[in-house]
Amino acid sequence: MNAIELLNQNFGRYLVPQTGDAVADAQAVLSGGHDMAKGGTKQRVASGWAIIKPEGATMQFKLAAREIKYAEKTRYEAFADLLDNWNGTPAILMEFDKKPIPVGNLFITYDLRAVRVCSAKGVETFDYTIEPEKDGCKTHKVLFKQRKSGGVSK
Amino acid sequence: MKLGSPPEGTITMRKSIRVTAALKSPFIKVGHMTLDGILAAQLFDELGDVDKAHASVPVNQTNGLFHASAAIFEPIDKAKQAFIAGLRETHSINPDQIKKNKHGQLHKKFDSSLTNVMNSYPVYAAPEITWYAEGDAVEIERLLSPVQFIGKRRAAGFGEVSAWLIEDAELDGLIGYAGEPLRPIPIDMFTGDKSLPIVDAAWRPAYWNVLNRAACYAPPL
Repeated sequence: MNAIELLNQNFGRYLVPQTGDAVADAQAVLSGGHDMAKGGTKQRVASGWAIIKPEGATMQFKLAAREIKYAEKTRYEAFADLLDNWNGTPAILMEFDKKPIPVGNLFITYDLRAVRVCSAKGVETFDYTIEPEKDGCKTHKVLFKQRKSGGVSK
Repeated sequence: MKLGSPPEGTITMRKSIRVTAALKSPFIKVGHMTLDGILAAQLFDELGDVDKAHASVPVNQTNGLFHASAAIFEPIDKAKQAFIAGLRETHSINPDQIKKNKHGQLHKKFDSSLTNVMNSYPVYAAPEITWYAEGDAVEIERLLSPVQFIGKRRAAGFGEVSAWLIEDAELDGLIGYAGEPLRPIPIDMFTGDKSLPIVDAAWRPAYWNVLNRAACYAPPL
């Protein structure tokens, strides 16, 4: 299963009709507006995070879709929870921003030594089992600092 | 062997080879930059068809997996290079196709994607890049000899090649001496060191196509 299929089967199909064009469907999920839990006009997911696994998706931004789980955690709390309790299940880690995430930036994380965080800006790749290097990526540095201090970074 | 003067008998069809590009300028690498990708790009220029180009790559393959390594190099320096591309609607789009404002005139800025965009690339300085492969050395030589620049942003002078060298080698383009992957290889096709991390990577061309990604053993990016 590639990242597009994982996204569509466990997240996208609850938000947009599946047309058979997997890439177009994934693009529609990431760039289109969706019904909100609070009602009102449709909105694009433009903040927060999502973790998509074969058994389901969890995200911060509250949509109307009941098949998705929602959590109040910050992105770093959510990512740390997943990685600290890693059981080997493949997952897509996403950070949302005002600009939609391009489908080309979607990668599955299979291993703690090659964690991939997907966002509109690009893809961060890091080894969660070691200390970040000086020129390491931001998420790795924040997660490491958070773990070291036992605290929570926002 | 230097290109242009292949000594008879030193390189035979479909054998293991090492390809080396001596570089004149730093290069920009995004992705694994496999040898089959470079050859397919050359073939696309000749054939004008993506599928035909991929089918004509003169490298051995197993179920779509080309026996051609990713770029191998030892950087003496690494930096970031940003480019700003100015996208202007008036240059290429027919104004009749653009939605007008309530006064019947063009919106000054009708699409936020049509603006200046900055792209940042990793730049590596290295004296040479090496690839290992199994394939038709003569045809590989024919395709590579006109290649003067490799990598991204070639038109800006990055990745200038001063010479190509093709030699006999032992590696098959898939697995290195320590059992490490020399290119992205799907986990069910990998016979090397399986204690290495599994990553999501494109393992066959077109490498830009997200549908060609799978769980792989792959060299670090």
